[in-house]
Amino acid sequence: MDKTTRKVDGEIILFWALPFLALTWIVIFFLFPGFSPPMSPTMSADQVAAFYRDPENLPRIRYSMILFNWFGVGIITFLSLIVMQMKRMAHRTPILAYCYLGCSTGGPALFFLADLFWLMAAFRPERDPQLTQLFNDLAWISFTGQVGFIVAQCIFLALAIFLDRQDSPVFPRWVAHFNLLIAAAIAPAAFVAIALTGPLAWDGLLSFWLRNGAMALWLVVMTVVVGKTIYRQRTQEETAA
Amino acid sequence: MSLWHRVAWHCKNNPKIELWIMWWAMFCFYQLFGIVFALMTRVMPPPKPWWDHARIVQWFNDNHYGLLWGFGIIFLVAGITASMNALIAYSMTRMSVSRVFSYIYLAIYSLSTLPGMLLTAILLTVGALRPDRDPAIISWIYDAAFTGFVGTMGVFFIGTSVWMLAVLLDKNRVFPLWFGYLNICNLLTEIVVAPMWIFKEGPFAWNGVIAFWVDTLVFVVYTIAFITLLRRMIVREDFGDGPLPELEQRA
Repeated sequence: MDKTTRKVDGEIILFWALPFLALTWIVIFFLFPGFSPPMSPTMSADQVAAFYRDPENLPRIRYSMILFNWFGVGIITFLSLIVMQMKRMAHRTPILAYCYLGCSTGGPALFFLADLFWLMAAFRPERDPQLTQLFNDLAWISFTGQVGFIVAQCIFLALAIFLDRQDSPVFPRWVAHFNLLIAAAIAPAAFVAIALTGPLAWDGLLSFWLRNGAMALWLVVMTVVVGKTIYRQRTQEETAA
Repeated sequence: MSLWHRVAWHCKNNPKIELWIMWWAMFCFYQLFGIVFALMTRVMPPPKPWWDHARIVQWFNDNHYGLLWGFGIIFLVAGITASMNALIAYSMTRMSVSRVFSYIYLAIYSLSTLPGMLLTAILLTVGALRPDRDPAIISWIYDAAFTGFVGTMGVFFIGTSVWMLAVLLDKNRVFPLWFGYLNICNLLTEIVVAPMWIFKEGPFAWNGVIAFWVDTLVFVVYTIAFITLLRRMIVREDFGDGPLPELEQRA
């Protein structure tokens, strides 16, 4: 086996870690009692404290957020695989890959911050309800509103695909349009704090359902696209070798 | 040709389009940053560190929608910071220095957005979210937001030092030597701002003449300088090795 083939094989191992990671994210989503249904921002401090003190909820909050702490940043492996594909594109500079790499740390770090705030809220639920509510607010605003890096990543990838001018581009063009569509669906969540009720509120149609739905759809579609591309790359490199 | 046609032509034919997109993204980001932080949220110049709880609550109430909409915009466009970091990192790959400089810059500045901007935005958003929150807690949020905003030093200190060193070592003259020395002014501001963690009033407090006004002035001059110089770099870029060619400056 030559050197280049081994390189791609490592990427294929990382790629197949993704279904496992996605499984943990699905488990987290359903295990965390604050997601089904999403907690309302209109809950009073006492109601929020009661939510965390509830013996039915507390272990589920902790276990789901420990899982999120472990596996949430796993998304960086997948984003880095996309960076590798961007570096194969017919660009003059590595600048778009740099942009994507920069965003790959920013976005997950903010999700991680939200995870820490949820865990902190659950650490001493007997605390003053005002403090529990504060941590809960910080968690939800960090989790929901911090879409800038995800939106930018979709746009950077779309740009990279548009500028990949070669006979057989790395990704097909529709992937660029798809990423722009996802960026548009995720964008409204940035304004999550404008209202405590309605579609923009953190339990609302736009900020919760559309945004999280769009991220899930992105993950499924991009998994198929990246998987196909990596396998095609391996075949090409094997024939070339 | 209309503007739209010109943009379309450049996207199709300009070999430097990747660089120009990043430059314009950076240019627009700083305009937006100024509008949001100075005009919408009233975070710059910062309010007073010595206010009591009632005054702080009043500040949040006065700026309620400015804070919520303004930081909504920042949350939406935060990712653009990646394009300016990438452009500056790219400028270092064009220099006669090791790639390590651009990797350090990219790593440090990818991290800097969180403590330097977004944490403050998150905290102030949460502060504005519930005007009926306990005033003592609102006051804690206020302190945390402004100390974090003004007091994030290390990432910019080390990041600027690395860029400075690269500019001074560079033989390809991507940036003029004077810009290397201007970096020293910028990194010094990160040193003299440190007493804001101790003083609650006077020139070294977070709204003080030195910690805020002098430092912001240097930052603005520095930012205008590197935005202009990056533009010049792109105009001169020939995608080759060695010194950048001197081109006629366009009128």
